[in-house]
Amino acid sequence: MRQSFFGFNVAVRGLYTAQRNLDIINNNINNVNTPGYSRQQAVQTASRPLPMLDGTGMVGTGSEVIGVNRVRDEYLDYKYWSENTSYGEWEVKKALLSELEVTFNEPSTSGFSTIMDEFFGSLQELSKDPTSKSVRTLVKETGVTLAKYFNSLANHFEQLQVDVNDRIEVTVENINSLGTQIQQLNKQIYSAELDGNTANSLRDQRALLIDELSKLVNIDATEIVVGKLPNGKVDSRMIITISGKPFVDHFSISKLAVTQREEKLNDEDVPSLYEVGWADGNTLNVKGGALKGYLDVRDGNEGENGSPVFSGIPSYIRKLDQFVQTFAMAFNEGIIDYNNNGTIDAGEDGAGHVDGYGVGTGTTKEIRFFTMLGAGNQALSSEDFILDGGYNSLKAKNFAVSSDIIDDINKIATSSDPDEVGNTVNLKELIKFRTNTQMFVEGAPEDYMKSIVTTLGVNSQQAVRFAANKTVIIEQIENRRLSESGVSLDEEMANMVKHQQAYSAAAQMINAMAEIYDILINRVGI
Amino acid sequence: MRITNNMLVNNMVNHIGRNMIRMESYQNKLATGKKISVPSDDPIVAARALKLRTDVSQINQHIRNVDDAMSWLEITEASLNNIGEILHRARELAVQGSNNGTATDEDTQKIAQEVEQLKGQLIQIGNATYAGRYIFSGFKTDTKLLNDDGSFAIDVKDTEVIMYEIGISDNIDINVLGGHLFDNGGEALTGGTGQLIQMMTDYIDALESGDKEGISKAIADIDEEFNNLLAIRAGVGARYNRLELTRDRLESDKLNFTKLMSENEDVDQAENIMLLKNEENVYRASLSGGAKIIQTSLVDFLR
Repeated sequence: MRQSFFGFNVAVRGLYTAQRNLDIINNNINNVNTPGYSRQQAVQTASRPLPMLDGTGMVGTGSEVIGVNRVRDEYLDYKYWSENTSYGEWEVKKALLSELEVTFNEPSTSGFSTIMDEFFGSLQELSKDPTSKSVRTLVKETGVTLAKYFNSLANHFEQLQVDVNDRIEVTVENINSLGTQIQQLNKQIYSAELDGNTANSLRDQRALLIDELSKLVNIDATEIVVGKLPNGKVDSRMIITISGKPFVDHFSISKLAVTQREEKLNDEDVPSLYEVGWADGNTLNVKGGALKGYLDVRDGNEGENGSPVFSGIPSYIRKLDQFVQTFAMAFNEGIIDYNNNGTIDAGEDGAGHVDGYGVGTGTTKEIRFFTMLGAGNQALSSEDFILDGGYNSLKAKNFAVSSDIIDDINKIATSSDPDEVGNTVNLKELIKFRTNTQMFVEGAPEDYMKSIVTTLGVNSQQAVRFAANKTVIIEQIENRRLSESGVSLDEEMANMVKHQQAYSAAAQMINAMAEIYDILINRVGI
Repeated sequence: MRITNNMLVNNMVNHIGRNMIRMESYQNKLATGKKISVPSDDPIVAARALKLRTDVSQINQHIRNVDDAMSWLEITEASLNNIGEILHRARELAVQGSNNGTATDEDTQKIAQEVEQLKGQLIQIGNATYAGRYIFSGFKTDTKLLNDDGSFAIDVKDTEVIMYEIGISDNIDINVLGGHLFDNGGEALTGGTGQLIQMMTDYIDALESGDKEGISKAIADIDEEFNNLLAIRAGVGARYNRLELTRDRLESDKLNFTKLMSENEDVDQAENIMLLKNEENVYRASLSGGAKIIQTSLVDFLR
């Protein structure tokens, strides 16, 4: 036996279905520009047909929408998160290395090669006229410019290290805050899905947060299945791990923390830099993301003392310090450690500034041209320099012309004999240092600095190239994600027309049914 | 592959962005005229640029040194020339004075007076200066070589040779030592008297006393001093020649290296402008094509 208003009910179902579909399309169109939004689709099926008891077939009972799916390829998400990590790392390195390059300012007319050239040029002029006060003043001034160049380079690098340090702290805070938000979303998603629905927009939001997080640090985000819920659906939990240790595990979060280092990692570091670890005390080995970029640049000393294997700021400071120490020792004392064995062998002690005499009465030997800055940023005298630590304490940051020379330019040691003012034998030995290709492994002093600048140039170019490559890869994956889950206005419009017509048809059906019932009720049997 | 409107917009934005990056790099090259602005643009070009700069600046310094050396030698040459004229005049007078027939004692007295003046001039030349430095005093350029009576005021050892650097490991000695000039090749010692001055003193004594034999001996001595002077002048002349040749070579080196430097780091503007224009075309095409596509969608066509 049939229900009385069977047809009516089926037509109304058609209306509901079409309406539900139109609602979903409405939502999609509204969210066409929402970042991270995946388009939703209705799961529409024909409702269970009723069997006719007399065996004349099944009667369809209309359609129903049993669920709303989000169209998203999770595999693409995993790909995006893993590529985004190295993209974040190389973007950071590209920016920081280019900042280092600009500090050196080469090749230009105001960089190291010009300053060195002017210093040795002034020494050449002095060799032609050793008694001229104006040329002696020129030598002193160009020497001071050279020392100040190194001071300013070293200071700039230290400042950069402090800046990167601050950024590391901010990045860790960002990571923690993203982790907390993801944890909240986990709770919300779990409770929303207990009754069998999929929390579509919440999942979209969570994926967006994980996108951001993957750029900052190397994460592994997986949804693992732990069992079955009472209603038959799978019970899954989202776990995010960093370098193997869980960061967000379903409802719980294990935050990262920064602590100040008590001991410096590299001698060249500024004191009290931040060490990144877990808040519960475990150590963290960051393997990717913007955080690794910052840590590599801040700490990288090419693997020495356990630092990252990267030419970061400490390695450049170390190279500058090495230049200053070797050059000052050669220029002052005439000592060059040719075989790099750490001790001064015979034949490694030549003529230097201390072996010469200046002009004027009472001139003596043992005057050093370069010393270092002492208390109150004043240059030390030759004696105080040795008392205060000597060449081991000499760094690019405190490199200076000695106070003996600054106070009395006649002490610039040109002569090998105290009574001969025109004697330039000692000065000639000093001038030879410019072209002494044994002074460094890389060659003469200008070759050494040139090698630093070009190594930095090559590293920076590499970072630019890697960042460009990663950008292309990320764009391609993002395109695939959009292709899969993006809302296409044309498609939604076409579907809208489709369901609109379905609605009109269902409404017409209701009219037809109403007429039938009208005839049945009002006109039959009167 | 399914393409959505947003993908079209995104892709257009990405491509336009990349076009602009390329255009900007050509624009920079146009504005600065250099291939690189930071070493990472092209590390090899940067390395060569640094090396060539050093080379060019060293050449410039050597050219300056050569010029200074040449002007020192010119002053020396002028002084030697003067000495030559003095000796010539002294010899004339000696020939006059040694003539037994025509020269009386009165005549030789008058000649003695002139020769006294000549001797004084020699002493002055011995103390000649260049920019306030005594050129014959070796390393002690702040003290005179000769006292007023012609004796040496200072020692000038053979090692006191002033060297100027005119090339890599290429030095030239520019001074004439006081001893070589005034003591016929020997070393100047404080208090001693060089052969040249001693010879003039003896000559004057011979003239004043009318010693004809002494005057004749003076002629031979003057000839000997003359030979010494010629040898020294030849040395100075040879060194001056060497400096001129070096200067020519340095000038042509400078031209070569400057050309290398320019080829290395300067951009070929004609090629650059062409590439820039090309890039601009691509940019305009991407803008106009993109603009047409992203504006229409199905919404415009539904009734």
